[in-house]
Amino acid sequence: MLAAGAETYRIEDTINRMIRSRDVDGPEIFVIPTGIIITYRVDGQEYTKLQRTKTKGIDLEIIKSANEFSRYFTAHPITLEEALVELKKIEGAPQFNKYLTAFASAVGGGFFVPMLGGTMIEMFMAYIGSWTILATTARLQTNPFIKNFLGGMVAATSGVLCVWIASLFGVDASVNKVIIGPLMLLVPGLPLIAGIRDLISGELVAGSARITEAMFIFIAIAFGVGIVLQASILRGIL
Amino acid sequence: MTYDVQYWFGQAFYSFFAIVGFCFLFNSPRRLILSTSLTGMTAWLISLVLSALEASFILPSFVGCFFIGIVAEILAQKKKHPVLLFTVPAIVPFVPGYGIYYMMLHIIEKNFDKAIRHGVESIFIAISIAVGIMLATSLMRILQPKSRSLFRR
Repeated sequence: MLAAGAETYRIEDTINRMIRSRDVDGPEIFVIPTGIIITYRVDGQEYTKLQRTKTKGIDLEIIKSANEFSRYFTAHPITLEEALVELKKIEGAPQFNKYLTAFASAVGGGFFVPMLGGTMIEMFMAYIGSWTILATTARLQTNPFIKNFLGGMVAATSGVLCVWIASLFGVDASVNKVIIGPLMLLVPGLPLIAGIRDLISGELVAGSARITEAMFIFIAIAFGVGIVLQASILRGIL
Repeated sequence: MTYDVQYWFGQAFYSFFAIVGFCFLFNSPRRLILSTSLTGMTAWLISLVLSALEASFILPSFVGCFFIGIVAEILAQKKKHPVLLFTVPAIVPFVPGYGIYYMMLHIIEKNFDKAIRHGVESIFIAISIAVGIMLATSLMRILQPKSRSLFRR
């Protein structure tokens, strides 16, 4: 759940309910975006468990099924082995087919352009850019900084190329708008908002960690786009 | 910019499909896509009306996200899913991606005044989104006993 981008307080609440349903005393839970610490007491003996996590990106389906599972777990006396089998099922279940996901998400990136006042041609170019990002970098297994850096570079490159090719045919298009659409798929808006939300509700450590994550993703994207834009300005394409 | 019928319909159409696309990106459960997108579309239209009336940049996104928060709480109670499933795709149009992009562009052009302007604007929009949703959630928590009895009748 944490890796799929759920809120901090919801995770603490869920774990608390699940532990309390099994006659375990005094659970204390501390959740930050990079790990979970749980302390609990059985027969007067204290146990502590620390679980490291890595963020994978937002996946609402996992949050939904984990929530349903926790309800089921608290209401029914199932054994731990059965619970583990259920959890494994939640983890590896892509809901949509890969191509459909890429196609539809690229629609999301493309439709941002007319929302900001772009033309239909610019929308089509943004669609191509979004699709290229999803096809190349979305499933990459590196750290988030490199991933977003490459994503920004791909977005800017496809934007610049599309506008350049269109200008050969005498069609005008604004590079800025073409690049913004695909970038909306990468921009860390949600970690930023989730972080501010955590800060407001008093989760200072979790909040600052999320905001720092968002800042670094942003810097990575800015580097990627910036390098390509600078290069294309120097080459005289723009 | 002209504000005729075509403009509003266009905005509704584009924001609806943008949110549908992001629902797929976030792997949102199939049955919730329609309601989430309609919520987000309505909120985006509300914020556009507000920004057409008044020039401030904080109020539209704040009111829009407040609306999203309240509708999402009601939907979450009815359908028994976490609120997050409704809010996350719906707030996507409000996320200040263009502000961040222009900030970066102006940094490349060494135009730091404009860069700071766009950056501060984006940060305040992000804060207003977060506060809008927080406020809606806390309000619904306070009103929850009352609203439950209201639904029962």
